[in-house]
Amino acid sequence: MERRIFLGFAGPSIVVMCLLMVMPLIMAIWLGMHFMTFDNVLEPQWVGLRNFAAALGDERFWQSFSFTALYIAVVVPSWIVIGFVVALLLDQVTGLARGVYLSIFLLPFVIVPIVGTIMFRQLFEPSGLLRWLYQELLNERFRYTEQTVKSLILFHGIWYVTPFTLVVYFAGLQTLPQDLMEASGIDGATRLQKIRHIVIPHVRSLTLFILLFSIMDSYRVFDSVFVLTGLNPLYKANTIMTYTYQTATQLERLGRANAMAVLTIIGIMVVLIPNLYLSWKEQIAER
Amino acid sequence: MDPVTSRPGRLLIHVFLIVFAIYSFVPFMWTALQSVKKLRDASSRTPKFLFSPTLENYEDLWLRSTPENPETLAFFLLLALVLLVCLLIFAQHIPLRRDLVYGVAILGLVALLWLIPQLLDTASFYDYFINTLIVTAGTILVSISIGCLAGYALARYAGLLGVVVLIAALAFRALPRLAYVLPYYWIGSALNLIDSHILVIITLVAVNQPFTIWMLRSFFMEIPKDLEESAMVDGAGRLVAFFRVIIPVMWPGIVATALFTLLLAYNEFLLVRILTQTNWTLPVAISRFTGGEDPRHLTLAAAAAVSSTVPIVIVILFFQKQLIKGLSAGAVKG
Repeated sequence: MERRIFLGFAGPSIVVMCLLMVMPLIMAIWLGMHFMTFDNVLEPQWVGLRNFAAALGDERFWQSFSFTALYIAVVVPSWIVIGFVVALLLDQVTGLARGVYLSIFLLPFVIVPIVGTIMFRQLFEPSGLLRWLYQELLNERFRYTEQTVKSLILFHGIWYVTPFTLVVYFAGLQTLPQDLMEASGIDGATRLQKIRHIVIPHVRSLTLFILLFSIMDSYRVFDSVFVLTGLNPLYKANTIMTYTYQTATQLERLGRANAMAVLTIIGIMVVLIPNLYLSWKEQIAER
Repeated sequence: MDPVTSRPGRLLIHVFLIVFAIYSFVPFMWTALQSVKKLRDASSRTPKFLFSPTLENYEDLWLRSTPENPETLAFFLLLALVLLVCLLIFAQHIPLRRDLVYGVAILGLVALLWLIPQLLDTASFYDYFINTLIVTAGTILVSISIGCLAGYALARYAGLLGVVVLIAALAFRALPRLAYVLPYYWIGSALNLIDSHILVIITLVAVNQPFTIWMLRSFFMEIPKDLEESAMVDGAGRLVAFFRVIIPVMWPGIVATALFTLLLAYNEFLLVRILTQTNWTLPVAISRFTGGEDPRHLTLAAAAAVSSTVPIVIVILFFQKQLIKGLSAGAVKG
């Protein structure tokens, strides 16, 4: 295909991405250098780098940053481990039962995240099932403190994305090299040895894929935290995204929020750049 | 993996899977139960499993006033809905032109959606539902149209520019939404488009475009080049070959991608929350039921959550194969 035809076909998509992805990014930097509220959106006031300095000096910005780091550190390994183990178990089931299990397992992942979080939250309302269970089992009142709200956010994070890793690993298990499995069986390898020496190396590239994408996705988690952090407005259990959102909507500091969004982009580069480098090499090789 | 054959082993596997299924399902079950309880039962501190079920929460959510003969109306509306959906499902077996049957069924559904507020005194939740349908359908239409062209070009073009576009798209996909949404608010204000469907659709298309072109490209790569080349030898131009030869064999890939676009558009919260003031979609409307002081919000939130989940569950049941194929295809290919 010639370049002219390529541009003709890909043109509309490239134009949309340039106008609505490249341009907004440049605008975010520009707007970040202004004082802007909802009242003066079209006539923002130039303040230079003050917003960036204010964000970097803001203690709550760093608190929300460290909670985001904790979220990634807890949630991503859980997705990988639970997803892998359940995929191994599900692989043992065949026929109708497999389809039924898979449909149920997928539910938390496919429904609207906001709605899933609200359903999750219903369990911990004053009349909720799990709150009642907690009080019966531990014999102490369940209260919304910073700690419990943060635990709920982590718990929900694990609950709603595990189905994704599960399906990815499950698909990976269907392509196991059969000859290797049989040969190792003849050599008397136990099931655990097979998992250790054949299955885990086989899904290594999948694990890398999941790792890169889930770190990036959990870094920008918003919807579920937005719903759950409202449970105790006194102690804000914020991630970077919800804190930036609150800066924009409640404090009406749109310029400052833009500056914070730009700063979070710098944070994500740590994972993004290696990821882009790997994909670049792969695409060049494939060409 | 070779199957476990021992009896206790198999039993143990099922026990684990059932426990995991319960863990996945409990929030759904509990919310569905809460949504059919009277407020008094729903807010009882010890969970009630025996209660007289009621539909009043759903009525409060969807209707402003109760109609005089709700049973007859509900019966006829449901009948019309079931007939139209059956028409859609069995369109392939009707000995008429297929696009004609699909067209009639979709027109019928639109007419039905238009008719409902004429017959019933619907509440604003119905408007949010319609907004969601408009935004989702618009996003799928625009996104898949331009995405197909780009995905095809990226699958066939060998130049460096193609790789640059793909990698740039990957980078954009990873960036936080807020970095785009706040400038969108500025653009929307400057063009006076805040609260309009157009702005939401165009921005949703843009933020989902990287994902769309990557997925469509991977499906186009599976189609052998000879297919359009032989058509082009026969004198057809590339555009004609694309529409006559490639698109017909691409349908499964297009359906799978459209399914993911549907989920992404239907689920979007942050973007719609910032770019609209009253023309909300369902996720934003539902988020209004949290954090309020009104005790009614407990059961209304449950009814709203169930109401917005039912359409998605129906879609998933129909397209489960495409969903799983898409989830694993994107991953296995990396």
